[in-house]
Amino acid sequence: MITGRLTGWAAPVILAVILIIGPLVLPLIGANADMMSRILIWGLFGLGFDLLFGYTGLLSFGQSAFYGTGGFIAAYLLVSHRVGDVFLGLAIGTVGAAIVGLAVGLLALRRTGIYFAMITVAFAEMFFFLENSPLSAWTGGENGLPNVPKPAIHIGGFDYVFNTDWRMYGLIAVLFFVGFLIARRIVNSPFGHILTAIRDNPARASAVGHAIQRYKLAVFVIAAAYAGLAGGLSGVIQSYMAPDAFTFDTSGQLVMQTIIGGAGTLYGPLIGAAIWLYLRSALQIAGLGPAWKLVLGLVFVLLIVFLRRGIVGGVRDLAGRMRRTPADEIAPVTGPAAPALHLVEDHTATPPGARPVVLEARGLGKRYGGIVANADIDFAVKEGEIRGIIGPNGAGKSTFFKMLTGEIPPTTGRILLFGEDITGRGVTAISQMGLAKSYQINQLFQKLTVRQNLNIAALARTRGMFRLDLIRHVNQVPDLGNDVAETLRLVGLTDKADALVSELAYGEKRRLEIGLALGTGPRILLLDEPLAGMSPQERADTVRLLKQIGRTRTLVVVEHDMDALFGMADRITVFNEGRVLVEGTPGEIQGNARVQEAYLGGVHVA
Amino acid sequence: MLNWANFVSQLFNGLVSGALLALISAGLTIIYGTLGVLNLAHGALFMLGGYAGYVAFQETGSYVVAVIVGVLFVGVVGIILERVLIRYFYDRPDEDQILVTFGLGIVLVELVRVGFGSLAQMVPAPAWAAGITRLGFTIYPTYRLAAFGIVAVALLLLYLLLYRTRLGLTVRAGIEDATMVDALGINIQRTFMIVFGIGAMAAGFAGIINAPIISITPNVGDDILIQCFVVVVIGGVGSFAGAVIGGLIAGEIMSLTSMFNPAYSSVMLFAVMALVLVVRPQGLFGTR
Amino acid sequence: MTDKNKEKGVTRRSALLGGAGLLGATAIPALMPRLAFADDPAIGNYPVTGDSVFVGIDVPLTGTYADAGTDERKGIELAIEHLNNGDDLIKAISPKTTKGVLGKTVTSGAADEQAKADVAVQNATQFITNNKAQVVIGSVSSATAVALNHLAQDKKVLYLPGISGSNDTTGKDCTRYSFRECFYAYSASAALAPVLFKELGKSRKAAYLTPDYTYGHTVYESMTKFTEAGGWTTATNQLFPLGATDYSAYALNIANSGADTLVVIGFGNDAVNSIKQAKQFGLFDKMTLVVPYMSPFLVQQVGQDLMAGVYAGLDFYWDMGDKYPLAKQFVQKFEAKYGQKPEWGAEAGYMQIALWADAVETAGTFYPPKVIAAYEAEKKYADSLVGPVQWRAADHQLIRPVIVVKGKKPGDMKAKDDYYEVVDIVPGDGIMQAPDAFGCKLGDAT
Repeated sequence: MITGRLTGWAAPVILAVILIIGPLVLPLIGANADMMSRILIWGLFGLGFDLLFGYTGLLSFGQSAFYGTGGFIAAYLLVSHRVGDVFLGLAIGTVGAAIVGLAVGLLALRRTGIYFAMITVAFAEMFFFLENSPLSAWTGGENGLPNVPKPAIHIGGFDYVFNTDWRMYGLIAVLFFVGFLIARRIVNSPFGHILTAIRDNPARASAVGHAIQRYKLAVFVIAAAYAGLAGGLSGVIQSYMAPDAFTFDTSGQLVMQTIIGGAGTLYGPLIGAAIWLYLRSALQIAGLGPAWKLVLGLVFVLLIVFLRRGIVGGVRDLAGRMRRTPADEIAPVTGPAAPALHLVEDHTATPPGARPVVLEARGLGKRYGGIVANADIDFAVKEGEIRGIIGPNGAGKSTFFKMLTGEIPPTTGRILLFGEDITGRGVTAISQMGLAKSYQINQLFQKLTVRQNLNIAALARTRGMFRLDLIRHVNQVPDLGNDVAETLRLVGLTDKADALVSELAYGEKRRLEIGLALGTGPRILLLDEPLAGMSPQERADTVRLLKQIGRTRTLVVVEHDMDALFGMADRITVFNEGRVLVEGTPGEIQGNARVQEAYLGGVHVA
Repeated sequence: MLNWANFVSQLFNGLVSGALLALISAGLTIIYGTLGVLNLAHGALFMLGGYAGYVAFQETGSYVVAVIVGVLFVGVVGIILERVLIRYFYDRPDEDQILVTFGLGIVLVELVRVGFGSLAQMVPAPAWAAGITRLGFTIYPTYRLAAFGIVAVALLLLYLLLYRTRLGLTVRAGIEDATMVDALGINIQRTFMIVFGIGAMAAGFAGIINAPIISITPNVGDDILIQCFVVVVIGGVGSFAGAVIGGLIAGEIMSLTSMFNPAYSSVMLFAVMALVLVVRPQGLFGTR
Repeated sequence: MTDKNKEKGVTRRSALLGGAGLLGATAIPALMPRLAFADDPAIGNYPVTGDSVFVGIDVPLTGTYADAGTDERKGIELAIEHLNNGDDLIKAISPKTTKGVLGKTVTSGAADEQAKADVAVQNATQFITNNKAQVVIGSVSSATAVALNHLAQDKKVLYLPGISGSNDTTGKDCTRYSFRECFYAYSASAALAPVLFKELGKSRKAAYLTPDYTYGHTVYESMTKFTEAGGWTTATNQLFPLGATDYSAYALNIANSGADTLVVIGFGNDAVNSIKQAKQFGLFDKMTLVVPYMSPFLVQQVGQDLMAGVYAGLDFYWDMGDKYPLAKQFVQKFEAKYGQKPEWGAEAGYMQIALWADAVETAGTFYPPKVIAAYEAEKKYADSLVGPVQWRAADHQLIRPVIVVKGKKPGDMKAKDDYYEVVDIVPGDGIMQAPDAFGCKLGDAT
């Protein structure tokens, strides 16, 4: 995503040139209009799949369901003359596939990873059986639907029928090109950026305030629509809608082509399809006969093992190694620091007693089976306060934090945020209300740059938990550049903005971790051991940073570094054995006998 | 169409065909549960078991030899695959594991096709299990009854292995926390290899036991694999009990549906899976 | 692969990669339709340039029907070899043949359609566009045949199905550019019914095991129509999904149905598995098995003991007695070349090529409308691999006999391949529906 990438208008122009020159060059090596059209149809099918798998990380083995649905809806409407215009038929098929995608997605997306993959297979198989038998009155069963008409344009007295292979190629090339532009806009949109965040770290994407289920569903539907259009075209190009569209092989071939070409590239599926279709023909001509599939299977396995990013990915890596170019990411906009970050007035002037309670827990408890992690916690933080939480290991601090952020639901008790009951609302909604957490163990978007990481956080604030802004370029999001630049400055990563997370030093990763929480523009920031693993110098820097942040926000900090914590906190809450032991100012806590006993006791136990 | 004799016989039939599905699914599920790898080549291993048994039968004419050779061969293939390929994928994302085993499955199937062609091959039932048995409420092929018994014993052995041995303890602990087991000085790498081998053997064993029932072709594992998916989705991934109960449920659904409208028996299976997803997404015995 | 096949492969590669084809080949016929070839306008891949003519063999080489497809390919390639050598066998069917077709050498290429209609169409298009095929041949499933029927009509290039049992192929999905040689659901049932009445009596109760798709439904309908007319009753029809592997549930339902005859309609692996499992459930202890439309290689896959006493319909059987000298010749020559007996797909492929060569030689041109006209002249062939045959102009179906066989007991077999005794060879004229009964509308030749 960073290196060797074609930027701006270069990619579409080059693609257009290839699509135009292709018919002149490719026949030299034995390709013909029909083969090239089919490659483009698979490429179009693959655009949607690449958005789903390459960009969002959702591996579906059931895309045949939507390819077939779109194809058969269009073919049925056209063959039965219920719809006269081929383009209208294709459009209805596409919408139909999207609707089916919505229904399947609602179920399949209830699970992730391997479960998701298996469920998609099973649904696709169900569609195969439905097409073949119960719906055969409409689909023609195993014989499919012949006599799908050729598309034609009638404007005024002008008639143009796509009745030759090359005309058909032209039409499909145009459709592919448009499909490609749309997919590319989606990838570059805020929506697309969130998809990559979901691929990298779904839990964090959700924690910074994106409703990831809705994004997943949206991209699932988009992929289904692409599949539906491709399926419809597969019927139109050969005047025949083949029942094979619904077979598992269709899904499998799509997956293999995408991997061979390179997932997460948009070009990958097209290249993979070209290789697959060309080699299938060439290997057979070379006398391999039925062994052609064995060869392609071996190629696939080798690519998975050695060149996981496929051919396009491999080329990009190579190009990237030769010249490191800055990617087309959001250019930092120079100008006044974004006021948006300063959500809260500077409170240092207001006396602490006069400020309202912003976060409160009442009788909060959590059990895991017979084990009590937290019990009877009453806890309240006032606006602008810096609250420290300490306690021996296993005192229940992290569980308490997880309940506050909505990552886990409490067993008993209630949580109030700005006076509103948020118990059981879930991490995304709570994040959107202005409560963010930085994690004890870094939860970053590993494959993205520092700037992209912060974009993900900032987008949650500017766009809310879900928005379908597919076509808008991420650069067009107002104030995004300023916001991110400001966060970068705060956490001291301006110089590293375009570095990949994997290239950062540990301390820098810790600061980015805090930056991710900060980037969502929270009014309340929970920090789970922000200093863990830092060098003394880094600790000092981070404490300074936290104090600065604390001027405009409410902070709750869990930390084992007592000196640092006592130096910045207004009040300290001590946890022990899942309960609040005592609470008070740093001075009160330091002299408290029960606290010393808890810690010593803890040492004894350990 | 619905009469009680037929209903009882279908109920029984569902149990028998479900048991076989349960065994294959158990192999799939313990591999996933232990290694975290969803093995899409599982259907191909099932197929391979059938062919290995077929070759052994052609050479020796003995059913018992065919079964033993089939199982051992697939076990060895499983271990080799784990050593040279799968182990390098433990640290890679789920998707890569799925993809590599998917590709592996295709390669295995096509290799067998190159070697044996696409014609269905036969392994006859052994003489002692030929013919039919009268069960009172129905007649039933003796071999299927024998296969049911064999499969039930295999499942029991697998259960004992998992729940009553040191290896099983390690395996189940490995499912909980692989690094912890590693830290305790248990060779988790070796355990993984053995588990993959056992999972493969379960598939291969089912493949050869099934060979006298359905004819073996290079693609014989394809549908089985998809049915296994349904079984583990219903039962819960990684759960041995889930695989067994899920397998039996799947067998019953297909058998009982066939009484009313056979064409819908597969569709019903997927419909039930969808229902489970709505009501209990983690599967009947799943925890995650 | 044999050397011969490799040679053909090379031929096709040179046609593909040679570059001579490139744009020139696309452009020439389009731009210069009437220059050299005088009489007939360019259509499809007419006129033929050069001194060879290309046949595209489009059969499954992988997947369920791979072996039937491979067998079919062998028959086709043998016929092409015979054409180029001017072999007596092919001359017996196509008397005007000297060497090649109209003096042109016949070249061919084969592509794997994987038993998928989609891929079949893709291969055929490749043959038609890149190789300038004059004819595309081959199918093992009706889905493929139906798809290619329509493609042929669209491209104005002849298509000749190999194996296709559905009534639709020369019924509602017939086209002007397609000609079917082999038997099909209706003719199989019509031929089989009287034989069954004679052999099994008129008061049988039949259970059907039917694959739940169009082919299965058409065979079921035809079979019940003919058998019920003769007094049989239908006890149950067990529809199973395409590609099912476990038939136990259906077998139990059939066992409980009280039927005394089992009709298995499944094709390929469906037939193999359903027959094997029916046997396991002891169904054949009290039931007679009937396979109206038997797929190639069935007996080799289920074993002779299961096929003993089975009544089945076939397009061709290698041992049809002395009455069919051409069939004997064909079997000898096929065996000499490939070291095995031909199955009926090979015969259908051979017949199609021979009948095509005759039509072209009769027309005296490759110009498709005239070739079609030659087919439609309804010439009576006095002899062929299956005796007298004749094309029917109205639906492009060959009027040809159906071979009814009965499986031999393993002990009665005289040789390894001696699977069946031929019970009857039912002439074609009495077993065909009216040409328009299945909704055939041929479309235009130009």
